[in-house]
Amino acid sequence: MLVLTRRAGESIVIGDDVTVTVLEMRGDQIRIGIDAPRHIKVNRQEVVEQVEQTNAEAAQSAARARTFLQQRRTQQAGGPQPVRPTDDRPHRPAR
Amino acid sequence: MDLPADPPVLTFEDGIPGLRDLTRWTIVDLTEGGEYQLLTAIDDADVSLVVASPWLFFPDYAPDIPNVDIEALEIGDPADAVVFCAVNLPDGQDVPTMNLLGPFVVNAHTRLGRQVILDDPSHGVRTPLPDGD
Repeated sequence: MLVLTRRAGESIVIGDDVTVTVLEMRGDQIRIGIDAPRHIKVNRQEVVEQVEQTNAEAAQSAARARTFLQQRRTQQAGGPQPVRPTDDRPHRPAR
Repeated sequence: MDLPADPPVLTFEDGIPGLRDLTRWTIVDLTEGGEYQLLTAIDDADVSLVVASPWLFFPDYAPDIPNVDIEALEIGDPADAVVFCAVNLPDGQDVPTMNLLGPFVVNAHTRLGRQVILDDPSHGVRTPLPDGD
């Protein structure tokens, strides 16, 4: 890892179009400003890791979740429902 | 705005966090009422996620989708964005949870999507689904 020492107000430049500026130091916290092109995603590392971990869990638990949710829907609907042909059910994922 | 019928192919050019290599996915209804869908990787059919519209469970959910993602997906009109979230039910738990911090956003016209990471810590990655939907 490249290690550089910077003061508040000083920056480092990464590549041609990413600039990271140390804005302020307050106690054990450091405020950082990042100037990057829009196609570069900037996220807090622990948040990315949380989402990665949650995705992995969701993928591992998909079979269990599927059975659980299908059974719950069936119970709420008051018992097994007749199976309709799938071609009259357009896909409606949102809202 | 709904996605077209017939299992559409959704393209997540960057994969999704933790599953970066999987860029092509299909989505099909999982339950009779259409509450839940199954998002399955085309290139590894063993990888699926149960997903659902967050607003079915959290009507007040108001994700602030970063501009970087809206532009990357070329979503000009909010009505063109289809949003769904992963549902999680790990072993040993009996209450499903939803990842509200990382919603999937898909352009209904181009079927281009990505998992967005919101910059708002009030959205949890494991928010329990309310009882009885």
